[in-house]
Amino acid sequence: MLHTKIIDLSKEKIKPENAEEFIASSKFGASIVFYGTVRENNENKKVTGITYDSHDQLVIKSFKEIYNEVDEKLNIKDKSVFIEHVKGYVGLGEISIIIAVACPHRSEAYDLSRYIIEEIKKRSPIWKKEHYENKESEWLKGNPIQAN
Amino acid sequence: MKIKLELFGASRDLSNKEFLELNIKENISIKDLRNKIINYVDEKFKGNENYKKIIKSSAFCSEDNNIVSDNYQITKDQKIGIIPPIGGG
Repeated sequence: MLHTKIIDLSKEKIKPENAEEFIASSKFGASIVFYGTVRENNENKKVTGITYDSHDQLVIKSFKEIYNEVDEKLNIKDKSVFIEHVKGYVGLGEISIIIAVACPHRSEAYDLSRYIIEEIKKRSPIWKKEHYENKESEWLKGNPIQAN
Repeated sequence: MKIKLELFGASRDLSNKEFLELNIKENISIKDLRNKIINYVDEKFKGNENYKKIIKSSAFCSEDNNIVSDNYQITKDQKIGIIPPIGGG
């Protein structure tokens, strides 16, 4: 089972309870909920918040591809995965991404959670503009995407 | 032919709108489109090197949401997304 969504913060909030609810099942003995949040420091600069930008359709496509390839790459067939990423302005300590996974056993759940966040960082077209205490802001350098 | 270049991430600094509209006389490859955008930066932003670096390292996305190679040909009016280097999470 898979749930994916881009949360446009100008219209709605990201809700951790939705993730817990989605993955809850007595089929699974291990659940992990990962939150990415905005931290106050990056490369010795005082951060006040981050604006996230997203190519929504490509991001959702990448989430589905990552989910679908897990069968083969990690040999995890039985699983529930919830992925939501925000777009818009996120203040310090607030949530930018939720990845919730549930599997029959803990080793699969840890592997799956880690795999998903690492692949999203490499493949999903999401960008961060950091805002600093001195009122300046800057798009962060990222990883180039290659055509297949 | 009109190409609506949708801007994302750092490329948003190229305009105060969400896109650039480019008028092109004939079919054009992504490679040549990239050069047109670099020319645009030369004209509008005095050759801003940071902007040019972003364009050179960007991928491009077709209207049907596929990342396309430099050889991809644009043959009709369409939307193309510019995808600068990414980093979410």
